[in-house]
Amino acid sequence: MNGNLLCTSNPVDDKETLNALLKDRRGEQYYDEMTRLEVNTAALQQLLNDTCRSRIRTWLGICAHCGMCADACAFYLSNDNDPEQVPSYKIQSTLGKIVEKKGEVNNSFMRYAMDVAWGKCTCCNRCGLYCPFGIDMGVLMSYLRGLLFSQGFVPWEMKIGSGMHRIYRAQMDVTVEDWVDTCEWMVEEYEDEWPELKIPVDKKNSRIMYTVNAREAKHYPDDIAEAALLFSIAGEDWTVPGEGWEETSLAMFAGDWEGATLQVKSVYDAMDRLKPEKMVVTECGHAYRATVIEGPYWAGLKSGRTPVITQHYVEWVAEALRSGRLKIDPSKKIKEPVTYHDSCNYIRNGGLSRCGREIMSYIAEDFREMTPSGEHNFCCGGGGGLNGIGKYRKERNIAQRVKKDQILATGAKLVITPCHNCWDAIRDLEEEYKIGIRWSFLKPILLGMVIVPEHMKSKEVLK
Amino acid sequence: MFKKILFATAGTPSCDAAARVSFDMAKRYNAKLFTIHVFGVPSRSFSQVLKDIRTGNEIDLHDDQLGKIKSELEETYEQQIKDYTPCETIVTNGIPHTEILRVARKKNIDLIVMGARTSTAKKMSPLSRNIIGSTLQGVARSAKCPVLIIGRAAASFWGGISNIVLGTDFSKASDRAFGFAFDLTLMFHASLHIFHAIDIRSDPYKNTKNQEVIEDRIREVRKMIRKKYISRMGSYADYEIDVWEGIPHVEVVKYSRENFADLIVVAHHTKKMIPEEEVFGSTVEQIVLRSNAPVISFNHPVRKKRDI
Repeated sequence: MNGNLLCTSNPVDDKETLNALLKDRRGEQYYDEMTRLEVNTAALQQLLNDTCRSRIRTWLGICAHCGMCADACAFYLSNDNDPEQVPSYKIQSTLGKIVEKKGEVNNSFMRYAMDVAWGKCTCCNRCGLYCPFGIDMGVLMSYLRGLLFSQGFVPWEMKIGSGMHRIYRAQMDVTVEDWVDTCEWMVEEYEDEWPELKIPVDKKNSRIMYTVNAREAKHYPDDIAEAALLFSIAGEDWTVPGEGWEETSLAMFAGDWEGATLQVKSVYDAMDRLKPEKMVVTECGHAYRATVIEGPYWAGLKSGRTPVITQHYVEWVAEALRSGRLKIDPSKKIKEPVTYHDSCNYIRNGGLSRCGREIMSYIAEDFREMTPSGEHNFCCGGGGGLNGIGKYRKERNIAQRVKKDQILATGAKLVITPCHNCWDAIRDLEEEYKIGIRWSFLKPILLGMVIVPEHMKSKEVLK
Repeated sequence: MFKKILFATAGTPSCDAAARVSFDMAKRYNAKLFTIHVFGVPSRSFSQVLKDIRTGNEIDLHDDQLGKIKSELEETYEQQIKDYTPCETIVTNGIPHTEILRVARKKNIDLIVMGARTSTAKKMSPLSRNIIGSTLQGVARSAKCPVLIIGRAAASFWGGISNIVLGTDFSKASDRAFGFAFDLTLMFHASLHIFHAIDIRSDPYKNTKNQEVIEDRIREVRKMIRKKYISRMGSYADYEIDVWEGIPHVEVVKYSRENFADLIVVAHHTKKMIPEEEVFGSTVEQIVLRSNAPVISFNHPVRKKRDI
């Protein structure tokens, strides 16, 4: 295709192509080649015929351009009410045009659509909540991303991410061997203080199968150990799968429907193989959305549900606290003002807003809710893959202003967020705006205050 | 005793003293020396952009960059590498203490050597001069092998070692540190100074006006040292027992200075710190920062050797 080496419409299915992409400094060559990437209009039209069904066509058609969605969008609010940031405009000027023109669009149009689909939207679905017609622009934007991916118009990091899933079944280059070895390593690391700690791999018929975010295996292995400790303290019968351990989906963010399907199927296969009562996913929002909300449809499961019941980590924690399996030492509750940020992906896609509040009632003395919150919470700015895309970093940072102001208004200096991307985004927010906050997942906070049963304590006498 | 040594470095002048010790030791014990530098911290989610550990600037992760950093590092230690060949340089990215521990495990390392902190940063605040590197904290708490920490450039380094000070608090980790200190003592035919400081800030000694209470305790502790440690030393007679009262890290530093310590052996033994302590550091960390002698932290049982 015009001699393009890196930027083509082909997905990344082998290590050689992946490495070639990785060698490209910040995608310089990739984006340069993109300016010469031809749009295969016939293929695009075919894809529209095959996949653009009545729901999407109806939504595009009934939009009254009323602008009710404008104030719902963090990008619109952060960019001084720029009319081009109104969600309905963003979708009508991109997907709307592709459908209207039946795929007869050119290269510069596709690059514009890419800038909108990834640089002006985190697929947080908040606008959909305010649309009088119930048009979910997050869903439309995800669909647009799929069309763009099929033609190769996708940000460099997203192309790499989807390739990682296709090759490693993980968002990073972590193999099953690496993963299992990391679990063994963590047991060794903690055995001195926690002699009973185990991370059972591939144990059949347990109550819980736990899956994680590849970043935990790659960079934050203590997160896995912390999860293991909390499961042990709660007396859970649990396991992690060898294959099918990774539940995130950069492929979903990339619009790589095929890659996303391969990824969730690996998790569902693990469910079928190990037959747990349920699956619990780590503190990660988009992974929950990919595996629990969208995944069953990608995998063609008629029930629309995962093969076994699946809970986000907040559901498990809320349940464990409620049932008393995790008991909090009241003297160790968080005393300072603390606020809590929900991931859009389990709030508006999964309706789990109750869980966070319940957890905070057990662990914090001065919980300060953001306004608005729950289903109406604003995106941190890091959703939709935007955290990792260098090309749209500036746009991401601007979009974080709304979250920054929300946090500041609570007066809290500690932000708890049970999501990897939100965690990263809030850390970046501090780096960018220096508002003097700290941020944490739930696990380390819980471990600092949970009552440890006698039998789990190390026999060591510490002075 | 030390067949494989891992020197963890930031590649900054603050690690020069640790470099000197690492290469000297490798040569002395005919050990294989691995030099590890974790150059970039992931800071951009899943992206390929990292944050340079030394400068805080953004850097890109690609092969050329990796090669460049590796040669830079090898240039930094050019003279030492030329002088002693069984060396391997490992350049990687990630959270520094995690990657150092990962390599230590993979390579069955017997000893980790590192400086007390990474940066000779310009922006360092007066307070931060007393703060130990977070990488050292992470490594020393969790490592399954001794960690030799070179906090200040000392005159003797790991030359002839005549005086070893063991600071004990009678924890299990301290008991293990004793075993290790005694092995070293035998190896060097050194004097072993077993030392404990009664913390006068803690109950029941806080506000005590009665020195007799403290002195009773000193007698008890001396007995405890005899029972716990001296009984394990067989006929080895070159040792001393001392128990002082005061603020433990200050007393250890003073005691070591007075006894011309060439090496201080202590145990860390708390994996996670309580937040209030983080700024000021634990006793061990304070010793590292204040003492002239190198400090070895020994916490966990040595890892069983793995097949590589």
